[in-house]
Amino acid sequence: MSLTDLFRQLSLLIGAPAVFLAGAGAVLIVVPRDWRAVLFGYALVNVMLSLLLSQVIPTEWALQQAIAVGLVAVMLFLSARQLRHPAASLAGSAWPRMTSLSPFRLLAVGLAGITYAVVRDSITFPLISELFRDAVLWLCLIAALGLALHQEPLHAGLSLLTFVGAVQLIIFSLFQERMLVGIFQGGQVLLGLAIAYLVVAHGLAGPAAAGAGGESLAIPEEGGPA
Amino acid sequence: MIAGPVLLLGLLFVGAVAVYVLRRVEALAAVIAASLSALIAVGLWQLPLDAPAVLAGRPVDMGRAFVSGGASLQITAASQAVLVFLFAMAAATFVLAWKTFQGRTFYPFGLVLLALWSIVVLLQPLTLTPFAVVLASVLSVFVIQAGRPGDTQGAWRQLLFPTLAAPFFTIAVWYINQAALNVDDQAPLRTAAWLLIGGFVLLLQPAPLHVALPAVARQAPPVVAAFLWAGGQAVTLYLLQRFLVTYPWLSEVIDSARWLLWLGILTALLGGALTATQSRLGRLTGYAALYDYGILIVALGLRGTAGLPTAIWLLITRTISLMTMATGAAALRHYMASDSFDHLRGAASRLPAAAIALLAGGFGLAGLPLTPQLASRWALLQLVGENDVRWAWLLIAGALGVVIGVVRAGQACLGELRFSRVEREPASLTVLAMLLVLIGVILGLFPQLLTDPVASVILPLSVLEP
Repeated sequence: MSLTDLFRQLSLLIGAPAVFLAGAGAVLIVVPRDWRAVLFGYALVNVMLSLLLSQVIPTEWALQQAIAVGLVAVMLFLSARQLRHPAASLAGSAWPRMTSLSPFRLLAVGLAGITYAVVRDSITFPLISELFRDAVLWLCLIAALGLALHQEPLHAGLSLLTFVGAVQLIIFSLFQERMLVGIFQGGQVLLGLAIAYLVVAHGLAGPAAAGAGGESLAIPEEGGPA
Repeated sequence: MIAGPVLLLGLLFVGAVAVYVLRRVEALAAVIAASLSALIAVGLWQLPLDAPAVLAGRPVDMGRAFVSGGASLQITAASQAVLVFLFAMAAATFVLAWKTFQGRTFYPFGLVLLALWSIVVLLQPLTLTPFAVVLASVLSVFVIQAGRPGDTQGAWRQLLFPTLAAPFFTIAVWYINQAALNVDDQAPLRTAAWLLIGGFVLLLQPAPLHVALPAVARQAPPVVAAFLWAGGQAVTLYLLQRFLVTYPWLSEVIDSARWLLWLGILTALLGGALTATQSRLGRLTGYAALYDYGILIVALGLRGTAGLPTAIWLLITRTISLMTMATGAAALRHYMASDSFDHLRGAASRLPAAAIALLAGGFGLAGLPLTPQLASRWALLQLVGENDVRWAWLLIAGALGVVIGVVRAGQACLGELRFSRVEREPASLTVLAMLLVLIGVILGLFPQLLTDPVASVILPLSVLEP
């Protein structure tokens, strides 16, 4: 048995747990304030997505996907490390600045879970297995929630990348084209670059200059050091 | 034999690298970027598409397709017209950006943006083009942010919607392929049509998805913002036209014209109403541009024999008005250190040309007399009135909002100067601003000057090749 076959059979075996882990990773992107937890959530989502993708596209392409999102994670990690440095943040303004409280975001995820349970059976995608449908639906819901709740580029950007990752499950089930895989992977790296740039630009500003991000200072619980 | 698209993109990328290296010498970078854009515009206009030409001793076939990996780039008669418009607009923008201090990274990034927009215009298959739009929006992030720490909303929103839109187009392709397998079943085509409409709503960003426009207006340097709007919106609307002509069933399955009409009217009305209430120049410019964008969408929604020429006419005249207003706003923002109406008092005495440009551009976007938009707007209102006169009144109400907002900005510039250290505008800026105003007035008085350019574009646009 080759490594490729092993990988593929492994991905079939852990299909349902991979979806659960990807779903949990997505929640980690949206709910916690700590950038390390958020990046861990992003990495988890994408490792699981790569495993799931190996069921529909060649394993090498799925591994490339893991490498591409790994590059994005490294870029965001470097940006975040730059900002958590005490010299980079102004006095009293911890990064990342949030516009909502963690319990509120957790409650919103709970409501998204109820929505998911209600609409799950009424949504079908052509040529998509039920497992993939569940993964796509949950990840898209959580990504939409992240985009709605966050103005801070790290959280919002990772929510957008989660949406792109979820959509890949549909698109690569419909098309197994090398060019399309390349476009999506290259696009994710470029998106990651732009998001990392915005993370630094937003984080280096003082609370007043950071636009809407500055409003979060009225929320003391979220303003503590990272 | 060098293919036209290869020459075009090669020139742009080499130019972008050269300008990036020279960006610290801003005057030189601006002159190179503007000259290159102007050169390409003239070349595209003059060189024939159906016969090879010789450039610098090498044979060039402008109409030849460049094919790679299942995708191709080809300059057609319709795309040639769009490219000439884009490059001519860019040449003017680079000069204006230099004189209004828009940031030196704009020149290289602007050239790469032009290359990406060119790819959107030239690329086949059509369904891959939204990915090029996403790339352009990724690059726009750097131009909008321009290295400044702080508010990132404008750049973020510019990035968000095209990224969300791209998958809709890819999934629609699968349904289009399925429809070809069973021509009697209309369901796949209907689903594909809804997906394409959804994708285009996200790409066009009419109201209520217009949030990127005012955020960009607030955050980006004004001339850069006007460049992004004039170029980006023109490219997206051209893409829509390509889709509508290539997939005629799109109009049959869903009444896309009516959708565009309603979205355009809502956008114009909202833009006009919000322009009247602004107290900052950036957002004022943004919402005035939103009103004008709504008008353009309405014109495209009218389609038919008169709608398309009017849309092309509006596209040209709105660019002049946008650039005029942006030049005024950029100069006022730079010299008065803020674009809040509270800080503009006395600006008219120190920066008269900038204040006049702001007013002339704003009135142009509203479509008032003696501005380039009067004739095109009048034509549009007549066309809209033929469908339903109430829609025409709604558009006029939106224009009234723009006029109120611009008059308020003009009033804010009057009075005695609050800070005595405000510099006078340089002579070169005065000349540029007044030149733009003059061009606007001339086109307002003699709109027939644009008849030939508009007429030359109409036929190729209405019979776009698949």
